[in-house]
Amino acid sequence: MAVKKDYKDQKLAEKLRDRKYYIPDSNPEFLKEVEKIGQTAAHMCYQCGTCTGSCPSAPRSSYRIRLFMRKAVLGLEEEALTDPDLWLCTTCYSCTDRCPRDLAPTDAIMAMRNLAFKRDIVPRNFLQTVQLIYKSGHGVPNNDANRAARKKLGLDEEPETTHKYPEYLPGIQKILDHYRLKENADRILAEGE
Amino acid sequence: MAEVKNKEARIGVFVCHCGTNIAGTINVEAVKEYARTIPNVVVADNYAYMCSTPGQNMIADAIKEHNLTGVVVAACTPRLHEPTFRNATAAGGLNPFRFEMANIRDQNSWVHMHQPEEATEKAKDAIRIAVAKASLLEDLIPKSVPVEKAAMVVGGGVGGMQAALDLANAGIKTYLVEKSPTIGGRMSQLDKTFPTLDCSQCILTPKMVDVYRNENIELLTYTEVESVEGYIGNFDVTLRKKARGVLTPAEAEARGIVGGGCTGCGDCATVCPVIKPNPFELGMAPRKAIYIYHPQVSPLIYTVDFDACVKCGLCVEACGEKKAVDLDAQDELITVKVGTAILATGYDIFPIEKKFEWGYKNYDNVITSLEFERLICASGPTGGHLVRPSDGETPKRIAFVLCAGSRDNTGVGRPYCSRFCCMYSLKHAHQIIEKIPGAVPYIFYMDIRSFGKMYEEFYYRIQNEGAKFIRGRVANITEDPVTKNLHVNAEDTLLGRPIDMEVDMVVLAAAIQPAAETERTRRLFGVSCSQDGWLLEAHPKLNPCGTTTAGVYLAGVCQGPKDIPDTVAQAEGAASAASIPIHRGEVELEPYFAQCIEEKCAGCGLCVNQCPYQALSLVEKDGRKVMQVTEAKCKGCGTCGGFCPGGAIWMQHFATPQIVAQIDAFLLGGEQ
Repeated sequence: MAVKKDYKDQKLAEKLRDRKYYIPDSNPEFLKEVEKIGQTAAHMCYQCGTCTGSCPSAPRSSYRIRLFMRKAVLGLEEEALTDPDLWLCTTCYSCTDRCPRDLAPTDAIMAMRNLAFKRDIVPRNFLQTVQLIYKSGHGVPNNDANRAARKKLGLDEEPETTHKYPEYLPGIQKILDHYRLKENADRILAEGE
Repeated sequence: MAEVKNKEARIGVFVCHCGTNIAGTINVEAVKEYARTIPNVVVADNYAYMCSTPGQNMIADAIKEHNLTGVVVAACTPRLHEPTFRNATAAGGLNPFRFEMANIRDQNSWVHMHQPEEATEKAKDAIRIAVAKASLLEDLIPKSVPVEKAAMVVGGGVGGMQAALDLANAGIKTYLVEKSPTIGGRMSQLDKTFPTLDCSQCILTPKMVDVYRNENIELLTYTEVESVEGYIGNFDVTLRKKARGVLTPAEAEARGIVGGGCTGCGDCATVCPVIKPNPFELGMAPRKAIYIYHPQVSPLIYTVDFDACVKCGLCVEACGEKKAVDLDAQDELITVKVGTAILATGYDIFPIEKKFEWGYKNYDNVITSLEFERLICASGPTGGHLVRPSDGETPKRIAFVLCAGSRDNTGVGRPYCSRFCCMYSLKHAHQIIEKIPGAVPYIFYMDIRSFGKMYEEFYYRIQNEGAKFIRGRVANITEDPVTKNLHVNAEDTLLGRPIDMEVDMVVLAAAIQPAAETERTRRLFGVSCSQDGWLLEAHPKLNPCGTTTAGVYLAGVCQGPKDIPDTVAQAEGAASAASIPIHRGEVELEPYFAQCIEEKCAGCGLCVNQCPYQALSLVEKDGRKVMQVTEAKCKGCGTCGGFCPGGAIWMQHFATPQIVAQIDAFLLGGEQ
């Protein structure tokens, strides 16, 4: 276990805290769960970096998908699930296309997001997206600028979705209700206020 | 047939503990006690290691003491210790074929580790079945066949050449068969060799000359194996000498052209109007329709590419009185007899354009390592000046992509490590630092595998010379459409930072795969291959040069990726192994032959066509037709024995009564 030293100053204590990896830091169940939900053999990752090299998020952020694979292998559940970078994957699947070990790093990330959500660890914008989908059927609903652009292209102002056929919205809401997604999103957002 | 009627069967059973391998699961005491109750068993014992000297002595002593007629050892597998226990049986004064093995380890204790009671019962069954057979075993005498004092080596690369030289120098007539017009193989395409940096051609050409000059080597270039018949000691190999269109001086003389034949002067190629890419230069240089690959070919004989030749006849005129060119040449089939054969069929480069993210064949300045070898080689298409294919400029920043298609489990690339790419890429880095002032090699790697003698030291040296190592596999490469420069995208995993590196040239260390003809050749010789297509050795550690087909051996990369020192070492091993049966002069065949019971044989001949080895024929005997077995050809497969409608074929050691007794022993649980 990490050695604790009694610094009076909180900031100093955080700055100088023991960051070594100790076996008790790891939860082997975490790897099993990620593999079960993600349906990919994350433990076969050989850390070549093809995923991060392919990643459109990596050049513009501190998101390193290779490190999440590593954390899965080592069972570093706490570190992985509390890392805000977890939510920077665009799910473009470039890493999955190119992985020489034929793994699906994207699906491992999605699995970790699942596990994080179970622990109410979700960025607010994701929860707001849930609310928008519940309300409109769209994560990014149509807006005036978009309507004008569509009109210019000779399209109907509203796309062939719930925007045009709001009678299908209850169906979407039913699905979200079934998984209690809206309920949880509302709750977590409320708690955060 | 050894028709020694069994007197009363007296069987000894010996149960091996194999340390805890067997005894840890199976109750060996209970099994021994049970064995004593089986009919015909007169003695049963157990011991920690039956294969040890005391264990073997137990068998020999018991045979004498109890006047045994058969021996059963319940232990590991016949594959491992059948020879051991046969020797022990013989030492006790019994015919060694009166030994039967019951496998209670590999097929029992190892697989039923968690069911000791059931495993013990299964061991009792196995022993009861073995005793039933042992009670009916007969004396058999192995047959010896003479071995032809000649060998064949298929493939004229450095491995095949070394194997042929060793065999020839050991006094064995050796046929060296090479499909292309010259020997030399891949090694002759290389510029320098790691870690010593000697010039590849300089160290190879003396060997090529040795092969050409050796009196015991019959060099058959531009020749392929057509069919193989026979068995160890007596292979009849039919070879297709492809139409070369050019006569050697010896062939010319045979046709009565005195002082004629090809001298390698090249006058023919000068006048030939047809231009084709030279495969030796990987298409980067032209050749004519009548050609040699490069000036150092052996034999120095031109070859006509009849697929390209327009038969204008200019070469015939240019050759003049030597009359070496024969545009009407046809393929020729010849058959040679050899005692043993070595396969050294080598490798091809994996078609790396299949990994489209690296842009090979799409971007001009992405080349393979073998192309790099030709470009950096003084005798190559650019005279040793490394240039960018797009504009002929000298590249300054060069990226090397390691594991290009190797260690790839996607199903597109190859799952194995190609084993020499790390080292030749280090060598390439050295070469550009040496030849191009200010050039920087960037080596994208996952692991540097510098495992051989002086290899790690070579790695140290190249790092010290200024090569930059980036630990990360290349994700993709894009091309600047104007400058034709390349952007190499990867992650420097040690920094944890993505990289976009603009370079002038990319060299892909492409994976290797078995040469295209490997599959066909191995089928002709009856050799197995592993999942990835490399030819399968008899044992990965203890018999890496042999195959499961007696008399056929492996040398070089056809068995798995290896560098030049390992290839040469294996070639010498294979040559040594292949020379043993030849020097002994005869080989012993297992006496598991089919035998015709002539009184029962109706001479119908149906079995003759069933035999997969052409071992059976019909002969006249006492005024009627009966079947006859050529014992040396018979593999004892039992196809004919199972098929014969009259029950007239006796399969030695696997005879019907013996097998029926085994089935009875199993089904009836020992009750008669």
